[in-house]
Amino acid sequence: MAKNLGVAWLLALALPLSACGEAARPGDRTELTLWRHQAGDVEEAAGRAAIARFNQAQTQWHITAQALPQGGYTQSIVAASLAGELPCLLTVDQPMVASFVRAGHLLPLDGLIPASTISQLSPAAQGRFQSHLYSVGQFDAALALFTRRSTLASVGARTPTLNHPWSLAEFDDVLTKLKSNRPSSYPLDLATRDPKSDWWTYAFAPMLQSFGGDLLNRATMATADGVLNGQAAQRFGSWFGSLFRRGLVNRREPDDRAFITGRAAMAYTGNWWAPDYRAAAGKDLLILPPPNFGHGPVIGGGSWQWAISASCPHPDGAAAFLRFLQRPREIAQMADAAGMVPVTAAGAALSSGFRNGGTSRVFFDLTQRFARQRPATPAFPVISSNFFVALQDIADGGDPHDALDDATDAIDRAIADSPDHSSPPSRAS
Amino acid sequence: MERSTNVSRGGRIALLAAVPAAVGLVLFLVVPFVMAFALTFTDQRLVGPERGHLIGWRNYERLLGMSYVVQQPQSAINGATSSTEPTFNRVRDLTRNDPQYKGYRPFSQFHLGQDRVTVLAQDPDFLRSLLNTFAFAVMVVPLQCLMALALALLVNAGLRAQTFFRAVYFSPVVMSMVVVSIVWTFLFDRDLGSINKLMSWLTLGAVAHVDWLGDPVTAMPAIAIMSAWQGAGFQMLIFLAGLQGISQELYDAARIDGATPWQRFWNVTLPGLRQTIVFVLVVTTIAALGLFTQIDVMTQGGPQNATSTVMFHAIQRGVREENIAYGSTVAVVYFMLIAMLILIQQALQRRWAK
Repeated sequence: MAKNLGVAWLLALALPLSACGEAARPGDRTELTLWRHQAGDVEEAAGRAAIARFNQAQTQWHITAQALPQGGYTQSIVAASLAGELPCLLTVDQPMVASFVRAGHLLPLDGLIPASTISQLSPAAQGRFQSHLYSVGQFDAALALFTRRSTLASVGARTPTLNHPWSLAEFDDVLTKLKSNRPSSYPLDLATRDPKSDWWTYAFAPMLQSFGGDLLNRATMATADGVLNGQAAQRFGSWFGSLFRRGLVNRREPDDRAFITGRAAMAYTGNWWAPDYRAAAGKDLLILPPPNFGHGPVIGGGSWQWAISASCPHPDGAAAFLRFLQRPREIAQMADAAGMVPVTAAGAALSSGFRNGGTSRVFFDLTQRFARQRPATPAFPVISSNFFVALQDIADGGDPHDALDDATDAIDRAIADSPDHSSPPSRAS
Repeated sequence: MERSTNVSRGGRIALLAAVPAAVGLVLFLVVPFVMAFALTFTDQRLVGPERGHLIGWRNYERLLGMSYVVQQPQSAINGATSSTEPTFNRVRDLTRNDPQYKGYRPFSQFHLGQDRVTVLAQDPDFLRSLLNTFAFAVMVVPLQCLMALALALLVNAGLRAQTFFRAVYFSPVVMSMVVVSIVWTFLFDRDLGSINKLMSWLTLGAVAHVDWLGDPVTAMPAIAIMSAWQGAGFQMLIFLAGLQGISQELYDAARIDGATPWQRFWNVTLPGLRQTIVFVLVVTTIAALGLFTQIDVMTQGGPQNATSTVMFHAIQRGVREENIAYGSTVAVVYFMLIAMLILIQQALQRRWAK
C-alpha cells in the first residue's frame, strides 16, 4: 500500500504539466511575436488596438502580442536572449536601452526607419546608444507642478509660464508662505512615498540638472566625478535637504492623495495624475512648468519604447510595424486612449487632448522644450540606485556633500569594474 | 530475519518518500549555495550575456576591508590657539585623494585626546547592516517570545471563547508580511498615524508626535514591535502544544502542596516548557536574522541606514544594482558568520552540560 503510494507520487511528479497548444496562424502571413511589459489596462488596451489596426492594414505580417510582468521584464529578456528565444519585437524602457544594446539584444534601426520619420520625433523618444538608434517611442510622460489658482492667490504669487517659470527664490518664497499659512501642513508633495529608485531618479535628476549638475559626465560617459558631486550638485543637495528640514516636504507621504484631499498645496508629479487632479480641482487646477533653478527648467524624458531584437528573422516586417506606429494618426490615437504625451508635432495636432489649445497641450510643450534623457549607459541601474540612496540620506538630514561624494565613488567604481560600459558594442549577433 | 527485511524495505520506502524533498533541497538550496560561493570570486553581473571573470578575493576585500585615519585639529596645524571646537579636515577630502585610502569610506569616529580617529571601511553600509541585524534580533527575540508565552498562557487558561481568541491571535501570521507592513506604516505615520493619535489622546496631548519610522533612534524598535506582533501567533501555537504536554498531575500535586499560581508557573510550567523555549528561541532568532520584507516595504534601510539589514544590503547590491557577485559575497560571509556563532554556542552548551 505504502509502496503504491510512493509510486503514485513519483508518477505525479514525473508527469509534465501540460503541453501548450499552438495558436492557429492566419494563412500566408508571416507571424511576428511581440513582447511588452504589463503597463496597466488602459495603456495595454491601446497597444492591443494599435496592433489590431496594423494587422488589418496590410496582408504580409501578423503580430501576436504577449504581455510580461513589469517586475521581471528585464530578466525575462535576458533569459530569452540566452535561450535564443527573443521575440521579433519588444518594448524597452528608455534607460535600459544601453544595457540591452551592450548585451546584444537589439538591432540598430538606422536603416530601417526613414530619416524623415526620425527627424519628426522628439529627441527623448529616440533610444540611442553611441550614435545609433535602437528604439523609438510613440509617447512620453511629462513632469509638472500642479497647484490651484486659489492657492497661488492666497499667497499673492504670480502664475509662472513656460517662458517665464519661477526662479529658485520665487519657488522657495511661495513654499515658505504656504507653510506659514498652514504650519501643520507640508505644502509640496514630491511623491516621497514611492520606494523605487526609478521615481527618485526620474523626478529629481532634472532638478539636479537645472541646478547645473548631472548624473554622469556626458562628455566621457565614464565618470560622475565633478557633476554629481560638484558645486552645482552640492547646492542642489543642500536645497533638497532643506525642503525636508524646513517642513516643506514630508519625508514620507502617507498616501498619494495629498494634493487631491487638499493636504498639500502643490504636487510635483507626472501627467498621468492630471485626470484625477482635474476631477478634484476642476477649473481651479493649474499645471505649471518646474522652476528654473539656474540652468532652465528640466523634466525627465524617455518612456517605454519599441525595439527590434537582434535575432529577429524578419526585421523588415518588424520595421513596418514601427513605421506604422509612427504615423501621426497612430500617435494621436495612443495619446488620446492612454493619456500619454505624443512625441511628434503632427501626432499632437491630431490628438484631441494635446492639439493646440487642448487641455493637455501644456504637457506636450513641456516635453518639447524641457525634456532631457537619462544618460544612455549600461551603468544606469547603478547610477539610479546610488542617486536614490544619496537623496534619501540627504532628505533624512545627511550631509549633502558626503552623500553625493559616496554616490559618485560607487558609480565610478561600477563603471571602472566593467570596462565595456563605455566601449563600443563588440557583439554583432 | 523477518524483522531485518522489514526494516530494509521500510528504509527503502522511506528513502523513496524522501526523494521529492531531497531533490528540492539539493536543487533549490545546495546547488544555489555552491553557485553563490563560486560567484563570489568573479565579477558576474546579474543581467547581461557576458560571463564574469575570475577576480580572486576582490569582492571579499571590498566587503571586509577596514582601515583608519588619525587627524589633528586644524588649529593645531595652523598654529592658532582658539578655545572653540576644534575643526578637522573633511575625511572624504582625504580618502578620495589619497590612493592609500582609495575605496574607503568613514564608518565611525571618535576622539583620542586632541586627535580625531576615523574608522574607515570599504563597505561601511555592510558593517552597519550587520550591527542593525543583530540589534533587531536582540530586540525582537525576547519581545516576541514573551508575547507568545503570555498569549499561550492566556488562551490555555480555560477562559471562555478561547478557541476564538486563539484564532484571533494567530491571524496576523497568515497575513502577508507585505500587507502587514503597509498597514503598520500607516499606523506609525507621524501626523496621521493611529499610534501617535492614541498616545497623544491618552496623555491629553502631553506626548509630542513621534516620527517612528523617520527617526534613526525609533525606526528599528518600531519595526521590532511590529514584527513581534506579526510573528508571535506562530510561537504561541508551539507554546500551546508545549503547555498541553505538561502533565495535569504535576499541577494537582503542586496545588495540594499549597503552591500559589506564581509558584506553579515558576516551578511547574517553566521547567516543563524548557525544550519548547529553546526551540522557540532558536526559530525566532533564525527568522530575525533574515529580516528583509519589513525593511523593504517600510523604510528601505533608512533613515540614514538605521534599518538596513544584511539581507536588504545583499538584495540591494546583488539584484537592484545587478552586481550578483557582490551580493553573493554578502550572503556567503553572513552564512559563515552565523555558522561560526552556532558552533561557538554549541561548544559552550556542551561545556556547560558537563
